[in-house]
Amino acid sequence: MVPPQYYLLLSAALFCIGLFGILTRRNALLFLMSVELMLNAANINLVAFSNVWGNVTGQTFGLFMMALAAAEVAIGIGIILVLYRNFDDVDVTKATTMRW
Amino acid sequence: MVGIFDFAPAIVLLPFVSFLVALAVGDRLPKGGALAGIAATAGSLLLAAATFLTVAGGRTYDATIYTWAEGIEAVDLTFGILIDPLSAMMLLIVTLIAFLVHVFSLGYMNDEGEVGLPRYYAGLGLFTASMLGFVVADNLLMAFMFFELVGLCSYLLIGFWFREPGPPSAAKKAFLVTRFGDYFFLVGVVAVFATFGTAAFSGSESFPVLAEAALHGEATVNTFGFAPQTWFTIVGLLVLGGVVGKSAQFPLHTWLPDAMEGPTPVSALIHAATMVAAGVYLVARMYGFYALSPDALAIIALIGGFTALFAATMGVVKREIKQVLAYSTISQYGYMMLALGGGGYVAATFHLMTHAFFKALLFLGAGSVIIAMHHNEDMWDMGGLKEKMPVTYYAFLSGSLALAGIFPFSGFWSKDEVLYETLIHGLGGSPVLLAAYAMGLLAVFFTGFYTFRMVFLTFHGEPRTQTASDPHSVRWNVKGPLAVLGVLAATTGLVNMVPVEKLLGIGGIDFLHQWLDMSTESLNAHHYGELIPYSSAYIGGEATTVAIGAGVSLGLALAGAGLAHLLYNVPEPVEHTDRLGGIKTLLYNNYYQDEYQVWLANGVTRPVARVANKFDQGVVDGVVNGVSSVSLFSGSRVRRIQTGVVSNYAVLLTLGLTALLLAFGLLGGWFV
Amino acid sequence: MIIEALIGVTFLAALVVFVAPDEYAGKLAAALSALPVLGSLWMWAQYDASGNALLGGSIAFETDVVWLTLGGLDLHWFVGVDGISLPLVVLTTILTTLAIVSAWTPISNRESQFYGLMLFMEANLLGVFTALDFFAWFVFWEAVLVPMYFLIGVWGGPNRRYAAIKFFVYTNVASLVMFIGFIALVFGLGDSVSSMRLPEIAQALRAGALGGFAGLDAATLKTVAFVATFLGFAVKVPVAPLHTWLPDAHVEAPTPVSVMLAGVLLKMGTYALLRFNFTMMPDVATALVVPIAGIAVISVIYGAMLALAQQDLKRIVAYSSVSSMGYVILGLVAYTTYGVGGATFQMIAHGLISGLMFMAVGVIYNTTHTRMVGDMSGIADRMPLTAGIFVAGAFGYMGLPLMAGFAGEFFIFKGSFASTVHSAMPLFTAAAMFGIVIVAGYLLFAMQRTLFGPFSFDGEYEITNAPTHDVAPLAVLLLLVIVLGVAPDLFFGMIQDAVNPILSGGGL
Repeated sequence: MVPPQYYLLLSAALFCIGLFGILTRRNALLFLMSVELMLNAANINLVAFSNVWGNVTGQTFGLFMMALAAAEVAIGIGIILVLYRNFDDVDVTKATTMRW
Repeated sequence: MVGIFDFAPAIVLLPFVSFLVALAVGDRLPKGGALAGIAATAGSLLLAAATFLTVAGGRTYDATIYTWAEGIEAVDLTFGILIDPLSAMMLLIVTLIAFLVHVFSLGYMNDEGEVGLPRYYAGLGLFTASMLGFVVADNLLMAFMFFELVGLCSYLLIGFWFREPGPPSAAKKAFLVTRFGDYFFLVGVVAVFATFGTAAFSGSESFPVLAEAALHGEATVNTFGFAPQTWFTIVGLLVLGGVVGKSAQFPLHTWLPDAMEGPTPVSALIHAATMVAAGVYLVARMYGFYALSPDALAIIALIGGFTALFAATMGVVKREIKQVLAYSTISQYGYMMLALGGGGYVAATFHLMTHAFFKALLFLGAGSVIIAMHHNEDMWDMGGLKEKMPVTYYAFLSGSLALAGIFPFSGFWSKDEVLYETLIHGLGGSPVLLAAYAMGLLAVFFTGFYTFRMVFLTFHGEPRTQTASDPHSVRWNVKGPLAVLGVLAATTGLVNMVPVEKLLGIGGIDFLHQWLDMSTESLNAHHYGELIPYSSAYIGGEATTVAIGAGVSLGLALAGAGLAHLLYNVPEPVEHTDRLGGIKTLLYNNYYQDEYQVWLANGVTRPVARVANKFDQGVVDGVVNGVSSVSLFSGSRVRRIQTGVVSNYAVLLTLGLTALLLAFGLLGGWFV
Repeated sequence: MIIEALIGVTFLAALVVFVAPDEYAGKLAAALSALPVLGSLWMWAQYDASGNALLGGSIAFETDVVWLTLGGLDLHWFVGVDGISLPLVVLTTILTTLAIVSAWTPISNRESQFYGLMLFMEANLLGVFTALDFFAWFVFWEAVLVPMYFLIGVWGGPNRRYAAIKFFVYTNVASLVMFIGFIALVFGLGDSVSSMRLPEIAQALRAGALGGFAGLDAATLKTVAFVATFLGFAVKVPVAPLHTWLPDAHVEAPTPVSVMLAGVLLKMGTYALLRFNFTMMPDVATALVVPIAGIAVISVIYGAMLALAQQDLKRIVAYSSVSSMGYVILGLVAYTTYGVGGATFQMIAHGLISGLMFMAVGVIYNTTHTRMVGDMSGIADRMPLTAGIFVAGAFGYMGLPLMAGFAGEFFIFKGSFASTVHSAMPLFTAAAMFGIVIVAGYLLFAMQRTLFGPFSFDGEYEITNAPTHDVAPLAVLLLLVIVLGVAPDLFFGMIQDAVNPILSGGGL
C-alpha cells in the first residue's frame, strides 16, 4: 500500500500549482481552472484518507465535491460571461468599478 | 350658613366670565362685549361692597377653596381666599375703578370706532379678574401666580394696537422688565416654602408668624445656615424684586412710561388699581414679615424716597399729558414704598387708596382730553380747554389738587401721613429714614410744579391749535366716571384725618386706623406697629410735629403750584424748562435709564448670545463634526486596501494564511 | 392585556396605513391613531396601582411571561405602567394623533409611508414607556430611531441627510455607551438577579447586591456604570454640551416630526434617566450632585442664550427645549417629592407646550414658507387666530401660571431649592431660575418682530387664516396645557405616589 505521505505531497503540489495560477494569472478562465485544481487537491486528500482508514466517508465527500465543482463551474462560467459582456475582457484586474 | 363670604370667589370669577364671554362671542354682542364686562364688574362691585360691610361688622374670612397640587408626603399648594379689612378695602377700590374704566371705555373705544373690541374687553376682564385674585390671595404662591397673570394682561392691553410699531415694543418691555423683577420674587416664593414649609399670609401657621417666632427662638425654621435675621432680610429683598418691578420703582421703572402706548383707560386701570398697585399691596399684605427686618425696611424706604424724587423731576419736562401722569405714578408709588419702609403701614395703605382714586381720575380725565384733541397728547398743542369741557376740567382739577397734596383734597391727607410717619420714625434714631424723608419732602415741591404745569398748559390760556379751539365733545359715559372719581378724589381724605385728631384732640376720626386694626391678630395695624423696629421722636410735642410736618409739605406743594402758576398760567406760555439747558436734556431723556437698560439687553446680552452661538456652532458642534470627519477620513484611507483586483485579495489571503500558519507553528513548537 | 393591545393595534395601524393609498393615508392614520388615545385614556381612568413599579409598588396592567432563556438570565415580556410612565403613555398617544393631523397640510408626497412610519414610531414609543424588562425595553428604544431617521431623511428640509445621519449616529453611539454601562451592572450583580427585569435589577442594586466586575470593585463599577448610562441618556435629553444634533434635526424635520421629536422623543431620555440612574443608583447620583446640577444649570442658561441668538423660529424653539429639559435634570437630582415629581410633570408639560410651539411655527411656515424672524412682520393682522394661539403658547413656554409649564417649573424649583442633597442646591436653583427671564426675552422679541407691528411680507404667498385642521390641533394642545396648569393633580398625584419610594431607603 502507498503510504499517505505521497498522497499528501501530491495534493500539496497540486494545491500550490492552483494557488500559483491564481496569484499570477489575470485571465478569469485560468482563474477558474486554478480553483478547480485546488479543489481537486482537497479531493485527493479525502479519497486518500478514506483509503487509509478503510471507510467510505471520505469518498462520499469526494463525490459531493465533484458535484459542487460542476455547479461552481456553471456559475463561474456565467460570471465570466457577464464579466466579458460588461468589460469586453476577461481580465480580473479590470473589474474594479465597485471597489469604493 | 351661607354668608356673604361664600360668594367671595364670585368677585374674582365674574370678570373672568366676562373675559370668556368677550373672547368667545364678543364680536356678536352689541358694544363688542363691553356690556358683559360692565355687568360683571358691577356685580363684583356690589359683592365687594357687601363683603366690605360684612368686614365692617368685625368678621374676617380665610378659607382654602381649591387645592392646586396636593402634596403626598409634602406640602399642599392651595388657593385660598383671605378677606380682612385690607383686602376688603382693596377689593372695593379695584372693582370700583374697573367698573368705571369699563364704562369709560364705551366712550374712549366704542365711540371712537376702534376695531378689535372683543379682544380689548376680554383683556380688561382678565386683568380685573387677575388683580382681584391677587388681592384675595391667602398665600404667597397664589399671589405670585395672579401677579404674573396681571403681567400677562398688561402685555396684552399695552400692546392692544399691535399693528403699530410702538405698542408691541412697549408691551414687550413692560413684561420683560417686570419679569426680571418677578424672577427674584419667584426665588423668594420658593425660599419661603423652603424656609417655613408654608406660604400662608394669615393664621398661626403663616410665615410671618413663624418668622417672628423663629426670631424669638420659639420656632425652628430652615434658614440655610444664615442667622434668621439675615435670612429673612434676604428672603424679603427677593420678594421685593417683584414689587420693585411691578410697582415701577427705581431701577425697574423704565417700562411704565413706555406703557403709555396702551389705550388710556388701560393706563388708568394699570396705574390706579391693578398692576402697579399690586406691588405695594403685596408688601402691605406681608407687612408682618417685612417689619421683622430693619435692613429690608430701610432699603424699601430708600428706594421709595429716591424714586419719589427721581420720578418727580422727570415729570417736570415732559410734553405729553400721559407722560407727566406716568412719572407722577412712579413718584406716588415711591411715597407708598417710603411709608412702608418708614413703618407707616396705615399711611401707605391710605395713600394707596387715595392715589387709586385721584390717579384713575387723572388718567380718565386725560383720556377725555385726548378724545377731545383727536388723539393728540402733546400739551403744547392744547390750551384753553377749560371753557369747552367744564366737567372734565373740574374733575381733573380735583384730581390735580389731590395729586399735588393741597388741603383739603385726599392726597394731602395721605401724603402728609406718609411723610409724618417717616419723619417721627426717622427722628427716633434712623438717619436713613431721615434721608428718605428729605427726598420725599423735596419731591412734594416738584409734584406741585409738574401737576399744575400740566393743568395750566392743558386747560388754561389760549388754544394753541385748531383742534384745541374746536375740541371733540364727550358723552355721558366719559363724564359720569369723571364725576364719581372727582368727588372721591376730593373727599376720601376724610376717612383718616390724623392731623386734625392730633391737633384739635378730636378722638376717633382716624377711621382707617381703626379699620385696619380690625383684622386678625397677626394682620392688624396695631400688631405691625409693635413689630416695626423704629421708635418715635418729636420736634417739640406730637402736635407740634404734626403741624410742622403738614405745614412744610403743604407749603412746598403750594410753592410748586405757585411757580407753575407764574410760569404757565399765562395766555401764551413758553417752555421755561428750556432754561435748564443740559439738565433738561438729562431729565427729558430720563437720566438715560432706558439707554443703559436697552444697552444691557441689546449691547451686552445679545452679543454674548451671539458669541455663545458661535461657540456652539464652532466648538461644541465642531467637535461633533470633527469626530465624524476623522472617522470619514480614516475610513477613506483604510478602504484603499480594497483595490477591487481579485488577485490582490488572493495574495492577501495567501499571505494571511501563511502568517497564521507560521504563527501557530512558532507558538506550537512545530519547528523545534 | 391592554398594553399589548395598545402596542399591537398601533403596529397594525402602521401596517394598514403603510399599504393604504396616499389620498386617504392622512385621514386613515388620524382615525386609527384615535384608538390608542382612547386606550390610554381608559388606562388613565382605570389606573389603580400605587407606588413605583421598579421598587416594589403594584404595577397596573401588568403582563409578565418568560420569553427566552439565555444562560443564567431569563428574558421576559414584562410590561406595565405606574404613575411615572402612564402620563407619558397618554402624552404619546395624544401627541401622535395631533401631529398626524398637523401633517395633513405640509406632507404632500409618499403620504402612506409617512403616516405609517409615524404610527410605527408611536408603537415603539409606547413600548419604551411600558416595557419593564431591559431587553424588551432596549429593543423598543432602538427601534424608535429607525422611523425617526427616515422621517427626517425623506421628508425633511434641504439639509435633511446630514441632519438624519447626525441624529441617528449620535443617539445610537450614546445608546451603545449606555448599553455597555448597564450590562456591566447586570454582570456585576451576578447571581443575585435571574432576569433582566428592571424591578429585580433596581431592587438588587438598591439592596447593595452589586459585586465587582472586570477588575472593578463594586463602588467603582457603580460609578462607571452611572456615568456611562447618564451620558447615554443625556444625549437623548439632550443636555449641553451633547445637544448639537437637536437643532439640526428640528430645523430639517417637517413640523409633525419636530412635534414628536420635541414632545416625546426627548422625554425618553429623561424618563430613562429617572428609571435607571436616579431610581437604581441614588447613592451615586447624590454623590455626583454638583456636576449633575451644574450640567442642568448650564443647559438651562446656555440653551436659552443660544435661543436668544437665533433668527429661525424653529431653531429658537429647538434651543429652548434644551433649556427646558435642563430644569428636568435639576428636579431629578434634587431628590425631593416636588423635585422629582415636578421633573416628571415637566416632561408632560414640556411635551405639550413644545409640541404646541412647533405646530404653531409650522402653521405659520405653511402659509409664509419662511421661518426667519426678519422675513415677516405683523402677520397677526392676517392670521389672528394662529397668532393668538402662538402668543398663548409662548406665554405657556415662559411659565405663565395656570398653564402646565408653570406647574412643572414651579414644582421643580420648589423641590430643588429645598433639596438636602447638597448645600449649594439653592444656589443652583436660583441660577437655573434665571432661565425664566431669558426665555421671556427671546420669545417676546420673536413675537414682536414676526407677529406684531405693521404688516409686511416680501414673499409671493398670500397670507390668510390657516385651515381649520391646522388650527384645531393647536387649540386642543392649548386647552390641554391650560387644563393641566389649572389642575396639575390630574397627573401629579399619581406621579408623586410613584416618585416617593425613590426618595427613601436603599442608600439614600
